[in-house]
Amino acid sequence: MKKVVMYTLSTCPWCMRAKTFFREKNILFEYIDYDKADEATRKSILEDCMSHGEKMSFPFVKIGEDVVVGYDPKKYSSLLDK
Amino acid sequence: MDTNKRMEQFRTMFQRVIDPLGYKFSPDEEIVDFLLEQEVMLEKEKGSPFCPCQGLTGEREHDMKLVCPCIPFHREHYDAMRRCWCGLYVHKDVDDPDELVQISKKEFEASRNKG
Amino acid sequence: MVPWFFAINESELDEGDKKPLLMEGNKILLLRQEGGFYAISNKCPHMECPLSKGDMEGYVIKCPCHDWRFDIRSGEFLDAKEITVPAYETKVDDGKVYVNLER
Ligand code: FES
Repeated sequence: MKKVVMYTLSTCPWCMRAKTFFREKNILFEYIDYDKADEATRKSILEDCMSHGEKMSFPFVKIGEDVVVGYDPKKYSSLLDK
Repeated sequence: MDTNKRMEQFRTMFQRVIDPLGYKFSPDEEIVDFLLEQEVMLEKEKGSPFCPCQGLTGEREHDMKLVCPCIPFHREHYDAMRRCWCGLYVHKDVDDPDELVQISKKEFEASRNKG
Repeated sequence: MVPWFFAINESELDEGDKKPLLMEGNKILLLRQEGGFYAISNKCPHMECPLSKGDMEGYVIKCPCHDWRFDIRSGEFLDAKEITVPAYETKVDDGKVYVNLER
């Protein structure tokens, strides 16, 4: 099983939908709400997003080695099956 | 101020900004209500109605470009998606916002360099 | 109606300065730059903050609230020219500054 980690915001509806997507598929995932995180965590999220050539646009979903920025169930599914 | 009242004020003020840019409020009323409510909370907490779906760094120059409507500062990217990042606004010709997908910054830049 | 309204005496506004005025019920911001007088609405088209509290750099005024920048000559928002703050014509006659409130 690929590891799923996502960065989210507590204010973002697409982040909620992304979480729901994985929950409904019974796929375990970890998430961090950027806006609720402490300063050090926030900094490391910023650096992680930038290292992938992205901005802090949420949800930021890591499926194994791959990254999907935004709510895109089709992409999530195809990466999970890959 | 009462949340609903502030949400209505946002609607009126932001409509004037997005209209000349070729955008309208999303026809998905549920999303619009949710996002506007978040923006009222963000204004109370942080002083400005920031985008509920993009991260703030605390640097003024960065964060002010994320105050709603942030379309002017991300125009090409949003035009390519035909919506703004959080989906509060869509291009005027969009009837079904569910057909649209979010394109990340990296994907957008890659497609622009190709085209 | 005659659209030209008296604003202030020329001597009341120094070079590089700005002054908010209430003219016929309109919140107007009068500015003097490079010797010329410019008049724009004092309400930012974003969320209506008073531009009179913003910083000026040459012909550009920056809104104090969220830093939107406008050209005081045309009223254009620098990051999206489709958005403007209303700009009004001005004229100086015999030491008096007038603003044309019709646009
Ligand atoms: S009110 Fe002027 S920039 Fe927001």
